[in-house]
Amino acid sequence: MTEADFRHQALAHLDALYNFALYLGRNPAEADDLVQETYLRAFRFETRFQPGTHLRAWLFQILRNTFLTFYRIREREAAVAEDGVPDWDVPMFHDAPEDTGGVMEVHTDLERALHRLPEEFRTVLLLAEVEGLPLEDVARVMSCPVGTVKSRIFRAKERLRTLLKDYEKT
Amino acid sequence: MTDQTPDASQDALGRRLASQLPRHRAPAHLRAAVLRTAGRSAATGRRAAVLASVATAMVVTLLFVALLPKSAPTDPLELLIRAVVAEHSRTVMWGARTVLNAVEESGIGLARQFDGDDRLTFVNAEPVYIMRRRGVALHYRDQDGHLITYVVLPGQGVPVPDRKRVQVDRFRPALLRDDGFATFMWRQGELVCLLVSDMVSPTDIENFKQYFVRVRTATEPFPAY
Repeated sequence: MTEADFRHQALAHLDALYNFALYLGRNPAEADDLVQETYLRAFRFETRFQPGTHLRAWLFQILRNTFLTFYRIREREAAVAEDGVPDWDVPMFHDAPEDTGGVMEVHTDLERALHRLPEEFRTVLLLAEVEGLPLEDVARVMSCPVGTVKSRIFRAKERLRTLLKDYEKT
Repeated sequence: MTDQTPDASQDALGRRLASQLPRHRAPAHLRAAVLRTAGRSAATGRRAAVLASVATAMVVTLLFVALLPKSAPTDPLELLIRAVVAEHSRTVMWGARTVLNAVEESGIGLARQFDGDDRLTFVNAEPVYIMRRRGVALHYRDQDGHLITYVVLPGQGVPVPDRKRVQVDRFRPALLRDDGFATFMWRQGELVCLLVSDMVSPTDIENFKQYFVRVRTATEPFPAY
């Protein structure tokens, strides 16, 4: 694959990456930054991409790793008030708060429920169910065994179903 | 929905996600920015090999420097943590002094304080002098015999390192480790507070976090000088 081919193929996944970034970070401006950083890294390290493997999964993997390493640190620091008490909860590996703080417009119960899932549950549903990635690719993106992916999908759906039921009651 | 089997219900939810979750397209300005990035990367790609070799040389040099014997810490924060740990170690070795009017002597007042509970027993309080700061130390012992030392000092010029902060209940203290000891550090107004123990294993840290919450929520120090 030539350099031009690689870039052309990588750019074909822009919409999918943006959609993933938006659901991951819950903030359009940060989704922009995250996607740009993902492409920057992908182009910089394109020689590390193994031809024959899925470029789409590789890009998702870069995006998620970037999110976890860079954004987690930044948001945690930003969330800390002077007295050590957080100004607001920054969801990452914990359940997100109900209030999304207006960072991203949410129109449906499904979106609202998805936002309240922990990051690893949200990611697994977005990749496996929304993007339709094979479980092996999801496992690669999340750096865990396929069995763990299956288990997370099951538990994520259980949690999602409970949240949706709560919304239906109200 | 309720008459569905769990598998069918799971599949249905999966289909619902795929079909009903709104998909967001990348905005035009992002597309343009990424295309510009692609263009720039292509231009700089040829320089990458040269830069990579230079970077490798720099990494080797940095590794060499990092492996050189370390001198005593010069970071004020690290010095403070070591001094507080040393104070804690002294208490472990020799016991806390019996000072009835510790608070009056320390320059630190306590509007209220943690007096112990079913998990932690209050041992003693004593004035301390650490890094040229007058303060107070309260000692507790848990049911496993761990000594927990709570130190309050004037906090001028002592930043709590943001990168070391951890979420504990509704607080975000810094968790620092030094030489087999764990220390929670946080600020309360003008004061800096530290909770030290030798509880460093993952299980112990979880218990230590609970101790932190108990002490943090029940103690309110203030400068009394």
